[in-house]
Order: sequence, then structure tokens, then C-alpha cells
Amino acid sequence: MAGTLYLFAAFGITWLIIFIYIFSISRRQKTLERQIEKISKTLGDHS
Amino acid sequence: MTHNRAFLKIFQFVTFFMMLLALYAIFVYAPVEKSMGIVQKIFYLHVPSAFLAFFAFFITFIASILYLYKRNHRWDMIAFSSAEIGVIFCTIVLITGPIWAKPIWNVWWTWDPRLTTTLILWFIYVVYLMLRRVAGENQRSTFSAVFGIFGFINVPITFLAIRLWRTIHPLVITGKGISISTPMTHTLIIASVAFFLLFLLLLINRIVLEKMRFKVEEIRAFIEDKIHLEHEKQGG
Repeated sequence: MAGTLYLFAAFGITWLIIFIYIFSISRRQKTLERQIEKISKTLGDHS
Repeated sequence: MTHNRAFLKIFQFVTFFMMLLALYAIFVYAPVEKSMGIVQKIFYLHVPSAFLAFFAFFITFIASILYLYKRNHRWDMIAFSSAEIGVIFCTIVLITGPIWAKPIWNVWWTWDPRLTTTLILWFIYVVYLMLRRVAGENQRSTFSAVFGIFGFINVPITFLAIRLWRTIHPLVITGKGISISTPMTHTLIIASVAFFLLFLLLLINRIVLEKMRFKVEEIRAFIEDKIHLEHEKQGG
């Protein structure tokens, strides 16, 4: 029983780390996409 | 661009399928080890993560050399992205290892050569990532490339630690082959392939992110230059 607990703790933490990292990449990509869009819009307005 | 997106979607699907297959192999196909019991299945997370951490730092090493040689920013992006993912996998190794060690060795941590060198490896690449944040924009790429080359010295030391020194860490893969049963070997291969695909997927996405960041920085620098020039014209 204790073994199962350790096993699921290891799997749970591993997947949590991977999901947090994927979420962080996706959030950073969206922020940059918004910035690029904003800059393009500003440049479009000025030209 | 559309082709790239379609390729990424297919790649994501294949990775997801391989992950499910790996979970099936780990929990259903692979037998329960006799002496360690079910906790031994942590092995299928721990070992592929360790291989991928080493592989990621190897990519950083090669990309850093190529950056210093060619001075092409693309290699710096690859080196940085790979180091970041390497730290993620190394963190997984350092967490799953103690969780496996506690029921088997009765301690969470021991200053064993393999464990200690892995911790040092993790610190080296965390410092690499921190260095990139604090270094000036002009020196960042060069500093981190040099660090990425010298930091890699610890990878073969970590890999060979269980062969060079007396250690309690098990040695599964030797020159004679793998000292586990055939279904366990199959499961290890399936888990390694699944994790390798996940690594590639993360690396591709991380490089895309770095390219976008570089693009934003370039546009900002261009606008700042223009504003500066206009100010100078008005002043003159």
C-alpha cells in the first residue's frame, strides 16, 4: 500500500511539473503574440 | 506556416498516443518487481527523464559551440531552450529518485556519488538560466555559450559516477546489456520513446517562443532607433 502511494506521488508530481511547464510556455507565447499584435497595430496606425 | 501547424498537431497526437501506450505498458504490461514491489515502476519515469536531461544538456553543449563558431543567434536560442527543458527533466529525476529511495533505502537522500553529481548538474544549469537573466544583452549569448560548454563537463561525470566510484545507486544498463526482464526492457523502451517525443514537442514549442521573443526585441529596438533619430532631427 505504501509502495502504491510512493508510485502515485512520483507520477503525480512528474505530470504536475510537465503540465505547469506546458502552461508556462503557452502563457508566454500568448503574451508575446499579444505584444506583436499591439506593435503591428501601432505601426499600422502611424504609417 | 499552416504546414507547420498541421505537423505540430500530428506530432502532438502521436506524443499523446505514445504517452497512453507508455502508461499501459508501465501499469499493465510490465510485471511487478519481486524484491522492490510496485514502487519499482518509478524506474520508467526516472530513467527516461535522466537520459533526456543528459541529452538536453548535450544539445546545449553542441549549440553553444556552434553559436561561438558561427555567431548565429539561432544556435543560442536552441542552446537556451534545450537547457531550460533539461532543467525540467533533471528536476523530475531529483524528485522521483528520493521518492523511490525512501521505501527502498529508507532515506530520502544520501550523499552518494550519483545523487550528488546529479544535484551539482542541476545547480550548474539553474545557474546557466539565471546567468541569462542577469547578463547584459550584448554579453548574454556569449557568456551562456561558454557556460553551456564548460557546464557539460559534469554530464559524463554524472553518467559515469556509478561506474567510477562505490555507490548504492543501481546499475541497470551495462556494457553487457540491460539487467532487467524482457517485458521490463520493452516498457523502458516504450516509456523512453514517449518521453523523447514529449521532449521534442517541448523543445520545438520553446524554440518558437524564443524566436517570438527575439522578434519582439528586434521590433522594439527598431522603433527606439527611429524615435531616437527623429528626436535628433528635431533637435538639429
